[in-house]
Amino acid sequence: MVVDLLGMSAASIASAVRRKEVSPVEVAEAFLGRIRAFDGRVRALLFVDEEGVLRRARELEARVARGEAEGLLLGVPVVVKDNICTKGIPTTCGSRILEGWRPPYDATVVEMLLAEGALIVGKANMDEFAMGSSTEYSAFGPTRNPHDLARVPGGSSGGSAAAVASLFCPISLGSDTGGSIRQPAAFCGVYGLKPTYGVVSRYGLVAFASSLDQIGPFARFAEDLCLAMRAIGREDPRDSTSIRRGRPRFDGLSPRPLKGLRVGLVREISDFRLDEAVESALEGAIRRLEGEGASFVEVSLPHLEHALPCYYIVAPAEASSNLARYDGVRYGPSADAPSVEDLFRTVRGRGFGAEVKRRIMIGTFVLSSGYYDAYYLTAQKARTLVASDFDRAFSACDLILMPTSPTLPFRFGERTSDPISMYLSDVFTIPVNLAGICGLSFNAGYSGEGLPVGLQLIGGWGRDDLLLEVALSLEELFGVPRPAPLGGELS
Amino acid sequence: MSYMPVIGLEIHVQLSTRSKLFCPCSTDYIGAKPNTNVCPVCLGLPGSLPVLNGLALRYALRIALALRCQVHRRTRFHRKNYFYPDLPKAYQISQYDVPLGYDGMFELRLEDGMIRPIRIRRVHMEEDAGKLVHPTASGRIEGASHSLVDYNRSGVPLVEIVTEPDMNSPEEAREFVSALRQLVRFLGVSDGDMERGSLRVDANISTMLPDGRTSAKTEIKNLNSLRSLERALQHEFERQVRVIEGGGSVRRETRHWDDRAGRTMSMRSKEEVEDYRYFPEPDLLPLLISDDMISSTSAEMPELPWVLEGRLMSSYGLTLKEARTLGERRETATFFERVVAEGVSAERAYSWVTVELKGIANARGLEPWELGITPEGLASLAKMVDRGRISLLSAKDVLARMVETGRSAEEIVSELGLEQIGDEEALRGVALEVIAENQEAVSQFLAGKAGSLNFLVGQVMKRTRGKANPQLARAILEGLLEERRR
Repeated sequence: MVVDLLGMSAASIASAVRRKEVSPVEVAEAFLGRIRAFDGRVRALLFVDEEGVLRRARELEARVARGEAEGLLLGVPVVVKDNICTKGIPTTCGSRILEGWRPPYDATVVEMLLAEGALIVGKANMDEFAMGSSTEYSAFGPTRNPHDLARVPGGSSGGSAAAVASLFCPISLGSDTGGSIRQPAAFCGVYGLKPTYGVVSRYGLVAFASSLDQIGPFARFAEDLCLAMRAIGREDPRDSTSIRRGRPRFDGLSPRPLKGLRVGLVREISDFRLDEAVESALEGAIRRLEGEGASFVEVSLPHLEHALPCYYIVAPAEASSNLARYDGVRYGPSADAPSVEDLFRTVRGRGFGAEVKRRIMIGTFVLSSGYYDAYYLTAQKARTLVASDFDRAFSACDLILMPTSPTLPFRFGERTSDPISMYLSDVFTIPVNLAGICGLSFNAGYSGEGLPVGLQLIGGWGRDDLLLEVALSLEELFGVPRPAPLGGELS
Repeated sequence: MSYMPVIGLEIHVQLSTRSKLFCPCSTDYIGAKPNTNVCPVCLGLPGSLPVLNGLALRYALRIALALRCQVHRRTRFHRKNYFYPDLPKAYQISQYDVPLGYDGMFELRLEDGMIRPIRIRRVHMEEDAGKLVHPTASGRIEGASHSLVDYNRSGVPLVEIVTEPDMNSPEEAREFVSALRQLVRFLGVSDGDMERGSLRVDANISTMLPDGRTSAKTEIKNLNSLRSLERALQHEFERQVRVIEGGGSVRRETRHWDDRAGRTMSMRSKEEVEDYRYFPEPDLLPLLISDDMISSTSAEMPELPWVLEGRLMSSYGLTLKEARTLGERRETATFFERVVAEGVSAERAYSWVTVELKGIANARGLEPWELGITPEGLASLAKMVDRGRISLLSAKDVLARMVETGRSAEEIVSELGLEQIGDEEALRGVALEVIAENQEAVSQFLAGKAGSLNFLVGQVMKRTRGKANPQLARAILEGLLEERRR
């Protein structure tokens, strides 16, 4: 191989393919080889579609040869989270209850990726039904953080983040309901974007909490994040919540001069205990941005403390309804049972893990008659307050800078025994989902032990384009994040 | 005074849109191979999302406006959560706290012309569920080793109409459902067919005691025809009265009507009521009903049954009963009006359409306008009778042949030589023969038994194989017999 394909950006790969400098088959072979060599250790992927990828790569090769191939992601390997439907390819959501299910249709984002010439390499591991912050709740075993195999990659999109950090693909897709893209992006040292609610179609994303879920990309290069959003950030008539008017545009994005940028710092962050490395990364980032001419203003999110409890009512409520359909009647593992009720009980009792059951129970409880007003309705009001906090803050600044997670990647088992400590991992990301706005996690350096430290940029409604343009500039400042030192053979 | 039933109805109307409420699948599930009109959305596959069918909304709005409901300008859908194998998402997308229409009024016109106002509590949209198929002889679940599910019906649009308990007899309830069925047909939003399940009725009934107190109500399900609705309510009312007179009290519960056994049976007590955990459907945006939409829906509203009936009475001099018969289906009334427009009198046209054509249609399980006979074709036949060219008797035969062969009245009449004998000389000859051969009848007539003349006219008709003009034959016979009398 003439070039180091694995280290290249998606944008470079696509243009090399277009110029016939490299064939899609060579690209596919290179990344499949990388996966074969290292995924045994990382376990980022639940399914690798070797056969399908090579078949498609050969088709693309023929089309490129005929000069017919078009697309932003020509020959670019992409991994998608296992809660995104892929036609004929297993889609389990990290759950036993969907084991063996092959959807008869592609999610809209998958159609869009394919239309741009991408190669769908495989499906990424995740916490069961995206409920978790470490991938430890995957029914098929956890993914490891490629920067330190003894630590979690974050979650729930831990597989997607680890795949990019491990150079299994330049771009992957995850989903973010309360931080499930940004937190693993921070833990694995890559970019992760949670778009504004409605920017990316949810059609084909297996629902966890419908009013909070949003698909978004991971990448090692900011330009690839932009590229991915150009491919998937489009209106979809099959999703009623897809934004029709006022959508951000993703073509023609360019690095945004940091000079004059008004960056908000949240006063209430001081109420939370941060890991030392996170704190110093934040301080370092502020100094560097100031050095580039950005200005800082203090903003207040007075209802920040209510975001977490609010989220843990709204999300389980919706989940209890969304996950009710897994009953063994139409798809997934079934059971022999003397009655319909027994069938439901057996299938669901066996199929769901403990965390999913916990959230279904919480959600069922808060929606029950007699409790609805006290919990669900109150949470909806709190949600409105959180959203208006952000509205007020964005009248004083262009974007907000804060930690993605209060901590560095933690060790396996450290938090599984205490659900609340796990939930706290998302305390800075959840408010963004509640408000339906956008957030981006970028790598701001490494701890003394070499663990990535991520920071979060939060933008107002529909300002996804601004976040991406700022990320392009930050990359010039902070450099491209390092690949994980898996075998040591890559610098 | 005695006991009085207090009845309220919940009616589900299946809308006749071509595609389902939240996906593009066909709604035409009757006779379709199981699970062929399905897609990820109506199968509730993981990841699928609903998109509202705009036409279904329009149809629902038509119903709400025709029932003179207030319309919520900002409405929304809720999820009604419960587990059942025919409900693929384990929730039904329905409306809850903000129904499309509320506080409506329907003026039920009783047969005696009196008007009984029935208040409409709400009109809302929801999706239908699939269907369980039990492979037993009875088709019921009892004794089935397994059950199959057909999702062709899943997601078909429904409108639920809930009345206040404003009906006080089973007949009124039947009349209301019948009038509502007529209304949805006129609105063009449903075929209103109860047997096929396009119109489903659940009835709530309680009993008012002589002292004005009211018993608990029971809900009756499985009412598949107007007849079973009326019978079930009658039986349930009698049962409630028996319970009360026996010193007991009526339990609040749901009861199943067994049409064959002619009784209601307890299904479940309302104490163990299910908690549906309603919450706003996050996959659909709130629905804004604009002024524009209301005014354009009102503008496209067709002539309503009571307006049509009034017009049939005033324009054609029909009685209320006749107007109702004709106006039951708008297509019948339109057919009638076109026959009249061709120059047939309203009285004749009425009888041709509602008696002759209707008779043939009924025998075939069709409606008069579905026989392939055009109003113009029927009018030309009617006019032949009016002009004395053929007898009414042969005309009926010609009509049957027109239906059978699709040929015109003119063709059939000339082919069969049915043209009446209007020639006085020819008929006089026949009449003389009849008189000669029926002396007994002649004597009876002359002895004052006027009815014998009919017999003699009949004989003339028989001899001419129905072709004689009966009025002319009668006049000639009368003349000849009067001559004898002298």
